Amino acid sequence: MAGLSPSERRLQKELMSLVKEPPPGVTVDSDVIERNLLQWLINMDGASGTLYEGENFQLQFKFSNKYPFDSPEVTFVGPNIPVHPHVYSNGHICLSILTDDWSPALSVQAVCLSIVSMLSSCKEKKRPPDNAFYVKTCNKNPKKTKWWYHDDSV
Amino acid sequence: MKVTIKNWVGVATWRWVANDDNCGICRMPFDGCCPDCKLPGDDCPLVWGQCSHCFHMHCIVKWLQSQQVNQQCPMCRQEWKFNNK
Repeated sequence: MAGLSPSERRLQKELMSLVKEPPPGVTVDSDVIERNLLQWLINMDGASGTLYEGENFQLQFKFSNKYPFDSPEVTFVGPNIPVHPHVYSNGHICLSILTDDWSPALSVQAVCLSIVSMLSSCKEKKRPPDNAFYVKTCNKNPKKTKWWYHDDSV
Repeated sequence: MKVTIKNWVGVATWRWVANDDNCGICRMPFDGCCPDCKLPGDDCPLVWGQCSHCFHMHCIVKWLQSQQVNQQCPMCRQEWKFNNK
């Protein structure tokens, strides 16, 4: 692990444990990630028995060199963005652990698990009520959004 | 037979007594050091919070310094207070 920054060393360990014990439906291409540990693409399957069964999603994680003191920037990317009350059509996710409630004890694995669980508890596929306005006016980086967390039901 | 000891070399091992193997912040072993240090030992000590969670001192201080409002334990989110036992 010589030559890696502290952030990259932790990410290298996380990658190894994610490959060994991935949350259900989560897969990564570790060869691609190892070339740039600061940006990950993660494949996520919709859990069976939920509204997203049979769908596939891609999550992008971007890490700064302050990780894990600074939270990762996590967005859905690619052709299929889940239709969910907390996921905007541009892939931004309204999830408190990604900003205000981030802790350095969390991990890629923990974030994936939260997102799988957020999708799985969804009762009705719909976009957030302010989707059209938000995607027109927001910053490209979801961490720049002052999120307003008010709905704990999904 | 009578043996006379002319000299001897003492060898000792040490380890931190923590309730976990790895630091929850940097994920490095407690018996190693935080990623900013080169050598484990007293120069890279462990500290405990009153909530009983334990981290490399350098890791938890870095986290607390990055938090402007609430100073919380990364593991249990209780208010972080050093346990000076």
